[in-house]
Amino acid sequence: MGEQLAGPVRQRHSTTEIRVAPGDVAAVMRTLHDDPALRFRLLADLCGVDTGTVMQVVYHLWSEITPDWLRVIADGLDRDNPRASSVTFLWKGAEWAEREAYDMFGIIFEGNRDLRRIYMPPDYKSFPLRKDFLLPDDASRSPGLGVRHMEQAAAPAAAAAAPRRARAG
Amino acid sequence: MDVGPDIAADGALTTAVPNDVGEPIVVPNSVWRAADPSAYQGGQAPTITHLREWEVTGDQTDNGRWSGALEIIPTKADYVLDLIRANSLWPLLSGLACCAMEMMSAATSRNDMDRFGMFPFRASPRQADVLIVAGTLTTKMAGPLIRLWEQMPEPKWCVAMGDCTCSGGRYKRSYATVQGIDRVMPVDVYVPGCPPRPEGLIYGMLKLQQLIMDRRGHWPERRIGPSVPDGV
Amino acid sequence: MTADPRTRVRSLDDPQLFVETPATIYDAVPPYPPSTEREAEFYTLRDGEMLINLGPQHPSTHGVLRVVLKIDGERVVDLDPVLGYLHRGVEKICENSDWHMVVSHCDPLEYIAAMFSELVPVMAAEQLLDVTVPRRAEYIRVLACELNRIASHALFIGWLALDLGGLTPILYGFIERDEIVEMLAALTGQRLLFNYMRIGGVNGDLNHEFMSRLGDWMGHAARHVNDSQTLINENEIFVKRTRGLGRIDRETALRMCLTGPPLRATGVPYDVRRAHPYGVYPELEFEIPVREEGDSYARYMLHLDEIRQSIHIIDQVLHQMPDGPVTAKLPRLLRPRPGRAFAAIESPRGQYAVYAMSDGSDQPFRLRIHDPSYFNLQSVGLLTPGHLIADTMAIMASLDPIMGGVDK
Repeated sequence: MGEQLAGPVRQRHSTTEIRVAPGDVAAVMRTLHDDPALRFRLLADLCGVDTGTVMQVVYHLWSEITPDWLRVIADGLDRDNPRASSVTFLWKGAEWAEREAYDMFGIIFEGNRDLRRIYMPPDYKSFPLRKDFLLPDDASRSPGLGVRHMEQAAAPAAAAAAPRRARAG
Repeated sequence: MDVGPDIAADGALTTAVPNDVGEPIVVPNSVWRAADPSAYQGGQAPTITHLREWEVTGDQTDNGRWSGALEIIPTKADYVLDLIRANSLWPLLSGLACCAMEMMSAATSRNDMDRFGMFPFRASPRQADVLIVAGTLTTKMAGPLIRLWEQMPEPKWCVAMGDCTCSGGRYKRSYATVQGIDRVMPVDVYVPGCPPRPEGLIYGMLKLQQLIMDRRGHWPERRIGPSVPDGV
Repeated sequence: MTADPRTRVRSLDDPQLFVETPATIYDAVPPYPPSTEREAEFYTLRDGEMLINLGPQHPSTHGVLRVVLKIDGERVVDLDPVLGYLHRGVEKICENSDWHMVVSHCDPLEYIAAMFSELVPVMAAEQLLDVTVPRRAEYIRVLACELNRIASHALFIGWLALDLGGLTPILYGFIERDEIVEMLAALTGQRLLFNYMRIGGVNGDLNHEFMSRLGDWMGHAARHVNDSQTLINENEIFVKRTRGLGRIDRETALRMCLTGPPLRATGVPYDVRRAHPYGVYPELEFEIPVREEGDSYARYMLHLDEIRQSIHIIDQVLHQMPDGPVTAKLPRLLRPRPGRAFAAIESPRGQYAVYAMSDGSDQPFRLRIHDPSYFNLQSVGLLTPGHLIADTMAIMASLDPIMGGVDK
């Protein structure tokens, strides 16, 4: 499995982080789940991330061997057509998490039998948590710009226009 | 890769055409106004209404003795009927979110709403008098809630409980909530708070009882005729 | 995949927001053709089957959840929960607000256990900022959380009995909850959405009124638990309706990503307080209650066991409470270093986790909230087929979902 890692293994705050390419997700997950030395049998979280340039799918796993979490980041999904493989063959409970990632980001999970919208109405056209979905006017400005929000709202020159991009991935 | 929002860029509030970055489109609200003249957006009759019961009955308000500026002195029968209605208001169970907890707290032993006659929280709208909307109304739930309101037979009143139903509350910036239920249905009593204490809700219900006795609120201007449309 | 730019942004005053979309359907069968395999399989009826809507407004008190049941007579053959009726867009709002404001945005998620839903993003922010929380604050956090856990479990017991038709235990549960919540109101100022956790500590120290109410309550806390025990535990109707209902085994529970009492009722001793300790839980002595049967009755008994363990924890906390500050000194404008943090705690419903990403600015870049009710509710589709319609609500009640968290 070591050759499938796409980036360095990082460790901080009792979480170990590995990055994989989106195509290797299914194989890596199966190894982590089935290998008797690893036994990552609990899926703690599954979520999508929009970094502004790419999309990611982030999994958090737990094994009874170590108290630390393992974070698997499937990095490098294309923002215009994000596709990843589904882990519902291992954890049936990931189905709704993948539906949520689809609903909020548009990430298509290949292998998920039930990939439809879960929060928004079924005919909703946008994907709300993407970075180019902006909330109206002053909501997208940082509240740290000033103490008095009313002044910010009245001065449209301080409005933010660009979608945010992540620094350091 | 840059960090955070770009402070130096111009605001886009004056451009009408969105560019590909997705400038916020601000559409001023010219359609919806609350019916109450002292509401925060000013009182005006809405020109487009969402309630099919208003579409069905059109503009025929009740010109009888219960509404209008020329108040005829109520008879004993009217007084007794108002008293009956006020003291046995049956709420519809419409607890959506956190405020539902406080509504249930107001209905249980410590703060008892049963002493005001409001114990039976009916599950069916056909049997309910007052719709206490407790909790955030989302756009997905707005349709079912309006249908519930239309299914309730007259006389009916509406209480907006909690900040989310009064004005959008802490979800003012959200893409999926209705900013105050008075955008979709006429409200008689607003009970602010996040969540309001059970005593606050009880105060609101007592205020509603006063409204019913005085024949104030939205009800004197209600539409008459078959207000529950077919198929609802 | 790219959406039309003009449809992406919605104004706050947009009247089109609440027009009924054609797909906001009231009938059980959707008016559009099925788009996924599972939808096609579900909405295809065989002979004698019927689709019925357990609509978003129903007397069960879990909130706005719509469940489409496929029934054959009185037996449920399959079910499809429809969520989203309480989706308020909290994650997006958090991305546009300050790190400090995240606490008040997140507490209505698990609204009857708001201490937990506030604590988790605070812990994630503390990881990103490398803040050390003072020990007294940690102990107060444990105290507040365990009190909230007891209140939440008392409500669970009441709701489980209410969904089975018993109208008395819910009153008992609310009395119990009201006492604890008035105590927490003396501490935090609020009954329900406490807004008490702060990054680096808590909002205020313990005060006299809180301590006096706590002392009064501790005097009869255990007796109240035994009261509700005698009311429900051996009640024939309750036992007959919950024993053997919704049985789930260990392997399936892990595959369904269950956490919390439903998982521990199947025999897996997974409790985040022991598996991945946080706060001062390593210094406290408590057991992880575990049951083997995995049915609704086991889940109910597990909640009672957990109340007893919580009372034990509160006892220890009160004895071991150190002196000191209750909050760490932090600037108003927080700019954590860019990075990622994952924090998880054991909430009354399961493992409540937050994955926070920071890009160095004062707004969270991504705040992903993992709510246990969301994953626990998935099992309802697995457990209900074969049972009667009335058992659907019992199974859902025993999994203890809170729609605020499920729908975020």
